[in-house]
Order: sequence, then C-alpha cells, then structure tokens
Amino acid sequence: MDITQSQEGDKLVVSVSGRLNTGTAPQLDTELSTVVNEQDALVLDFSDLAYISSAGLRVILSTQKAMSRKKGSLVVRNCKPEILEVFEMTGFVDFLTIE
Amino acid sequence: MAPEIVLQFALATMLPVVATIVFFLLQRKTRFGGLGFWPQQIIIGIVFGAIAVFGTEFGINAYGATMNVRDAAPIVSGLLFGGPSGIIAGLIGGIERWFSVLWGRGEFTQVGCSVATVAVGFYAAALRKFMFDGKKPSWIMALAIGVVAEVLHLTLIFVTNMDAMKQAITVVRACTMPMLLCNGLSVMLSVVAAMLLCGESLYKAPEERAISQTVQTSMFVAVLVAFVATSAFTFVLQTSLSSQQVAELLRINIDDVRTDIEETSDANLLATTRKAAERIGSVKAAKTISLKDLAHELGVSEIDVIDETEKIVASTYADFVGYDMSSGEQSREFIPLLDGTHTEYVQDYQPMSYDQNVMRKYAGVAIEGGFVQTSYNEQEFQAQIGSQITGMTSNRHVGEGGSVIVCNAQGKVVSSLNNEADGSLQDSELGSAVKASAPNTVFKSAYEDVSVYGMYTRTEAYLIIAIIPQAEAEFSRNTAILVSSFMEILVFAALFAVIYYLIKRLVVDNIRRINSTLGEITAGDLEASVDVRSNEEFASLSDDINETVAALKRAIAETAARIDAELVYARTIQRSALPMVFQTYPPHYDYQIYASMDAAKEVGGDFYDLYLLDDDHLVFLIADVSGKGIPAAMFMMQAKTILKSLAEAGLEPNEVLMHANDELCANNEAEMFVTVWMGILDLRTGDVRFVNAGHNPPVIAHAGEKFSFHVVRPNLVLAGMEGIPYKQHELKLLPGDTIFLYTDGVTEATDLNDELFGEDRLLASLDARESQSVESICRGVHGDVEAFVGEAPQFDDITVLALRYVGRKDNDEA
Repeated sequence: MDITQSQEGDKLVVSVSGRLNTGTAPQLDTELSTVVNEQDALVLDFSDLAYISSAGLRVILSTQKAMSRKKGSLVVRNCKPEILEVFEMTGFVDFLTIE
Repeated sequence: MAPEIVLQFALATMLPVVATIVFFLLQRKTRFGGLGFWPQQIIIGIVFGAIAVFGTEFGINAYGATMNVRDAAPIVSGLLFGGPSGIIAGLIGGIERWFSVLWGRGEFTQVGCSVATVAVGFYAAALRKFMFDGKKPSWIMALAIGVVAEVLHLTLIFVTNMDAMKQAITVVRACTMPMLLCNGLSVMLSVVAAMLLCGESLYKAPEERAISQTVQTSMFVAVLVAFVATSAFTFVLQTSLSSQQVAELLRINIDDVRTDIEETSDANLLATTRKAAERIGSVKAAKTISLKDLAHELGVSEIDVIDETEKIVASTYADFVGYDMSSGEQSREFIPLLDGTHTEYVQDYQPMSYDQNVMRKYAGVAIEGGFVQTSYNEQEFQAQIGSQITGMTSNRHVGEGGSVIVCNAQGKVVSSLNNEADGSLQDSELGSAVKASAPNTVFKSAYEDVSVYGMYTRTEAYLIIAIIPQAEAEFSRNTAILVSSFMEILVFAALFAVIYYLIKRLVVDNIRRINSTLGEITAGDLEASVDVRSNEEFASLSDDINETVAALKRAIAETAARIDAELVYARTIQRSALPMVFQTYPPHYDYQIYASMDAAKEVGGDFYDLYLLDDDHLVFLIADVSGKGIPAAMFMMQAKTILKSLAEAGLEPNEVLMHANDELCANNEAEMFVTVWMGILDLRTGDVRFVNAGHNPPVIAHAGEKFSFHVVRPNLVLAGMEGIPYKQHELKLLPGDTIFLYTDGVTEATDLNDELFGEDRLLASLDARESQSVESICRGVHGDVEAFVGEAPQFDDITVLALRYVGRKDNDEA
C-alpha cells in the first residue's frame, strides 16, 4: 500500500493505492489521525485502491466521525466498482460522501 | 642551498599533493569515479609512477648519489588510492631509477634507491590494508609514514654499500635531512589535502576517534618520546666518548713530538759536555784551562767546574765562582754526580737557579774531583738543535686529516705537515686559540680554513700543536648517532606496527565482531550467538552476552506460553458462547439448522446465533466484528449479548438493531464495528423479517433449484454511528428452501495467487450440495474454501450458517 498527499486548493487529497487490509490499515490510520487535526476538508482518493477489508473500513469510519465532530468534510472519490460494492454492502454509502 | 635547488625540491614535494587533489576531484565530480576498481588503480598508479620518475630526474646529484623526492608518490598513491596503485607507482619509479644511471643519475645508490622505491609501494599498500583498513591515516601518522619510508630507503643504501661504508655514510648524511623532510611533508600534505576535500576536520574530538586512532596517537607520542630520549642519550654518550678519543689522539701525538725534541736536544748537549769533560780532565786541571776559549770552541755559553764541596770552583762567568749548587732547585739536581750514583745528567731548558729570568739548558758529566756542566743559552740552543727539529713532523698525520705543528720561541713555524706552512702563527686564529687556552687541553679553532680541534704543549722553548679537523673527530660520533637513530626509527616503527596490529586484532576487530552479532540479535535473530574467544576478556564478554540473550529468550518463551495458555482459555469461552447444539428438545421437525465458526487466530470476531423466541419464531443471525483477536472477541461477546437480550424482549429485528447500535456506540472508544444479518423466521408461514446491517447478502435456493443472492439495500454497520434507523425487510421461505449465511471470510478467502474465492465459487459450491443436509452444506463449503486457499495463510474467520425451512403439515399444528 502507498499513501501520497497533495493539496488541491483548500482540500488535502490523500491517495491510497494497493490493498488496505489488517496489515496496512494502521499505517493509514496513523497518517490520517494527524491529518484530521490539521485539515477541514479532506479527500480520500481511491482510484488505485484494489481491496478494502473491515480494518480499512474502520479507519474510514473513525476518520468520518472525527471530521464530523469538527464539522469538517470528508469526501471519498474515484472508487473502483469492487470498493464501491463493499461500501454499499456495509451501508457505508449512507454515511460517507462518495463521489 | 641555492634557491633553484630549494624550488626544485619544493616542486617535487608538492606534485603528489596536487595529484591527490586532482584524483579526488576526478573521482567525485567526473565519470572517472564510475570506472571500475582496476582501471582506476592502473591510471592512478601510472600517474604517480610518472611523478616518482620526475622526482628522480629532477633530483640533485651529490657524492655519486641522487638526492630526490621520489618515494612520496608511491606512498601517497598506495595510502590514499589503494594498494595496487601504490605498487604500480613504486615499480615504475624503482625500475626507472635502475636504468637512470645510463643517463647520469647516481650509480652509487642505484640498487638501494631502486629497491627502496619498489619497496615503499608495497609498504604503503600493506599499511593501507592491515593498519588503516582502507581508511585515511591521520596527518601526523602520514608524516611518520613518509619519514620511516625514507629511513628504510637510506638504510638500504647502507646495506647495499657495505664495502664502501665511508662513502655510504657521507651520502646518507647529506641526504638525510632533505629527503626525510621533503618526502615526509609530501605525504603529510597529501593526506591533509585529502582530509580537507572529504570535509574532515584535522582535529578529531575524542568521541569521534576510533579506538585504533586513539591508540595510534598515544603510541605515536610514546614512541616519539622514547626515540628522542634514546637519541639524546646516544648523543651525550657518543659526544663524551668522541671528545675523550680526540683528546687522547692529540695528546699521544704531542707527547711523541715532545719526546723527540727533548731527546734530540738532550743528546746534543750531553755530547758537547762530554767533550768539555774530556778536555778538562779533572777539577785540579781546570784552573790551567781557559774555560772561555773552550766554551767558544764548543759553542756553549757557559762551562762550570764543580768540586766535591758542591761549589763552583771555575766558570766562564767569574761571578759564578763560589756558587753553592745546593742553594738552587735547578742546580741541586746535579749534585748526585758527586757521589758517583750518576756520571751524566741533562736538564730540560728552564730558568736557571742563579737568575730566574735567564733560560738555560744544562748538562753535567762527572770528572775526577767533581763534575763539569755546560749550558746553552737561547740562541745557542736553537742554533744547535733547531735544524734537527725543523721538518720533524712533516710526515706526522693525526688521524687522517690532522697534523702536528711546531713553532720556535719566536712563534715561527719550524715544522708542519708537508712543511707547507712556513710562516708564523702569531696573527692566525690557531695562534690566538693557543694563547687563550691552557696546555694539554682540547680547544676549538680553525687552521687553513678548516674547523679543527687542537691541543698544545711547550717543551725546550718549542710550541707543539696537534690539530684534527672537527668533521673527522666527530665522524664516528655522527655515524654512530645516525645509524643508531635509523635503527631506532625502524625498530620503533616495527614495534608500533606490531602493537597496533595486535590491539586492532585483539580489541577492535573483536568489538566489531561482537557489534555485528549484537546487530543480528537486535534485528530479532535471538539464535545468533557471540563467539569471540581470542582472549579471556572477550570470551567472558561473549559468554555474558550469550547468557543475557538466553535469559531474554526464556523470558519471551515464558510470556508467549502464558499468552498462549490464556488464548486457549479465551477460545474455549468464545466457543462455548456459540450454540453448538442444533436440535432442540422437544425436537422441531419444521426446520433444520447448522452453523460453524473457524477463527483465523485463537479467538475470532465472527459469530452466529440461533434461538427460538417461542415455538413459532426462530431467530438466526450472523455477524462479523471489524478486526480480530482478543479485542474483536470481546466486542463480539458484547454485541451477541445485547442482540440476544433485545430480541428476547420481543422487539422487531429493526428495533433490536437500532437499540443495539445505540448501546454499542455509547462506549466504543476502540471504534470497532460489527456487520450483522439478523432474521426472525415464522415457522408457521416461512416468513422471514430481517435487517441487514452492512453484511454480505444471504444466498437462498428453492428445493431442487439453484442458489441466488438475496440482495437488499443494506443499512450501516452496527456501532458505526449513533441514532440511525435500520430498515426491516421481509422474505418468504417455502418448505424445502435453504438460506445460507456467511461472513466475508468465505468470499474473500485468498489463495497463493491472491485470487479471491468469490461469489461464483460460493454459488457453485452450494449448488453442488443443494440436496444435502444443512450440516453437509456447511462442511462442504468450508471444505471447498480450505481446498481453494491451499497453502496460503488464513487471514479471516470463516463462519457459515445454513437453515432449511421444512414447514409444518396441516395436522402438525403445535
């Protein structure tokens, strides 16, 4: 898994590629938990994300909660069909802003 | 030294430094650095070899040798750029030196110089490999390396010229200072340049120094002190020895000449006195002879006749008649002639007793009734014996370049080596030195423009001076000091190298070995053991480290065993929380159910549940907690308990999940969540009211037909967000229908090629067993998943639940 950050206007885009599973989720968790404190607008770009496990969902869930608490925004975008399928199956589509 | 020679040497000294800078820059800034090891070594070797040749060709010829700065180039090359380049440069420089005699380079040192230059190339290579491990030496070490190399070189000149030691020593003495200085400086400055180019500081703080460097520096200081002390001692010893030898040599020569002069003059006067005695005959006859005439005839100034009363009875000087011989010290010496103990006696030229201001030389011969004495005055003395003294020392060599000079009372030189000096010493430096010093002591002066040591004495009014050139006098001392210094430098250098090598081998290398093993241990290889047994200290250190690691290993194993035991316990608890008995009592024939959970770790996060609310209502659910292990297991127990208590309170599935969600959200600091598919089957009708909280859709098949997914839009996972509603759905099972629930451990089971088991394989696996029992279906799917995964590790819990609705016959009303 690779994580890259880039600024798009006032939004910080975090691109995650590869597989987000039990092994790699803690790395994203660490990275996002610092970012959450500094940013009001966060975009997760999953265009190169091949797989997401429940551990990855947990990171997204806690990030969403943290952003909601500080009245910031979190957008998940460019999900592949199989990732989108996971979000749909788990009901995350109701809860996340997916573009 | 002439300015052009200084310039020539300075240039030869600086060339290796410039080459060092050039090669360092080439290696770093250009593609030269990208060349392989050997091409680089060869190019560097050839360039430094050319510099060595330059050193030879621009050396200075002296004493049949060629003074030069040739050795610095191979040393610098070998030390800084690698052994092979130093050896190549040494070979080029040495071979060229061998043939350079053909075009006029010094032949005397041909062998010594050629061999030395080849040798220093190997010397530098060996130092780099064994002493400095390919690193740069410190600058002070570099200076010492240059100096030791030149000492080796000059010693080789001795060794190869044993049959012409004197010339060898002259050559070496002339070469020592310039060659030691220039080659030493050249090597040192090259190292300084290299250090500066590498951005290193010339001074290193203690914590930046390797042990080997500290040892080097301390040992260097100790060796230097020892060298200076022994050299100073040798110098003092040799100086004292040499000045004693000089004094001895001068004294022997002076004594020889003095004896010659005295014997000559004694013999002369005695012969005259004998003639006088013969003519006079006896004391009685003395009165009949004119002593004045006789004195004139014999060429003496005085003739006295003394009788047995010890008084002068007749004399050429009337005043002397009646003089008592025993009244003066000089005259008393003749009295033994009266008692017959001696018949002849001769005195040195000295002041006479009668008048201390008058110098006389007396001799006496016994005659009947007394004795006769005659005497020369100054003029007569010199007239009589001067001719014999003249040229007396013309063949006398003192040492090799020294001589004896004899001057008469007027200060005129009467005898010297080869009779060259025929003048006076009156105004010369030697003359004034004689005046300024005491007889029979060594003084410093100059004679014929050569610095000399001298010693003088006086006899019979003659001044005898022996001189020896200072250079000759000090030759043996200087040679001794030179040779012993060389030997000391070589011995100390060898000692230094051996001790340094031993320390490095015994301490530094061992520390490195231990460090590298410690590195392996730190990296997690607890099986690595330290085994440095070359001495007692390291053996004990090795044992200590191994024991520590062993203790650590034991502690880890014990902890692991404890955790394992606890996990086994936790697994048992978790297992017992899942229903394992699928038939109720009294038995229900209107449905069949089977489920299983296979945790990836000892404890898992998946669970299922099934229980009858009453005779007509069966609750069945499957759930998957995010995460695994102990935290997931604990969360699972909590979720399972809450769901069951809410369901048994008679709530609808959507209400159960809504309340459970709120309760689980309340204290969920770990931010875990759980997906749940929960249904309540009405056993009378086959209606199922269910809620899907983010779980995989179930698969359903009518009797004899194929399985298909039953998809509804799922709600958010449980414990994801507080206060959200859950939508309840319905489906209808016909008798014979089978519903299969599973977790993503089934569909996302992965084989070694990272391929997922997937939904299609699940459907195929189910379809193949549609007609079998629910237990067979569950076991079959699980078996297919395991077969698919093969050798790949299981990452997720695998949980399955199969329910077949049998339905009630009309008369079966419970």
